[in-house]
Amino acid sequence: MAKKAKSRTIAVRILSMAQTGFFMTFRRPRTHRPLSMLKYDPVVKKKVLFLEQKRGGK
Amino acid sequence: MEQHIRLAQTLPPRLLNFFARFPPAPLAALTSSIPSTTSTTSPSDPNAYPPSPLPSSKPHTHTKPSPFAAFRNPTTQNWHAPHISLRRQAGLFKLAAQHNVLSLMPSSPKHPYEKERKRIENGLRVQGTGVGKRVKGKLWERTLKGRLEGRRKAMEGMPALVREWKERGHGRGWKKWPK
Repeated sequence: MAKKAKSRTIAVRILSMAQTGFFMTFRRPRTHRPLSMLKYDPVVKKKVLFLEQKRGGK
Repeated sequence: MEQHIRLAQTLPPRLLNFFARFPPAPLAALTSSIPSTTSTTSPSDPNAYPPSPLPSSKPHTHTKPSPFAAFRNPTTQNWHAPHISLRRQAGLFKLAAQHNVLSLMPSSPKHPYEKERKRIENGLRVQGTGVGKRVKGKLWERTLKGRLEGRRKAMEGMPALVREWKERGHGRGWKKWPK
């Protein structure tokens, strides 16, 4: 029916593991493994681990 | 007597008109029995409350119902608002207090003595205080404690988490992702 192929990249959200609700969004290739990095969280004012949020709700 | 009349005429027109339409209790008793009464039994304290009727031996004469009170239609049993609204009552009481004729005014929740009595009875009622009252607060206020506790716990475990993540190859071998 729809001729639209799936895009190469997807937008992902990486969440702060300090449970502050702070997040950042990145674009990565669909085939890439999930993102994770150490980033600054301004709510706790420290560098903390950010892990990618699981895709899809429910 | 002449002096009293002149004194009464110094009142502002608003009060005079009010007393003309709704004579105060002592005055009503006087005007209803003009031939015999003298002015010897007039009340001495101009600021007496509740307004004291004249202690005459005559039977109770029919006075007008209070314009400050709600009333019921006897046939339909419907309630009606007072003839003079609370807003106008407040204005009249302010004038009466200025000119020292509070004892001539009918009783009303806008009377300064009634207001004082209510204040003494209830005290300053600040919203959320008093017996059996609570301030609900906003949702973020109510959940704040729990959320801060969660943050604190997460930050306590953060160095261990980071160490584990680094050991597992900076996300290459990581399996646990947040929802």
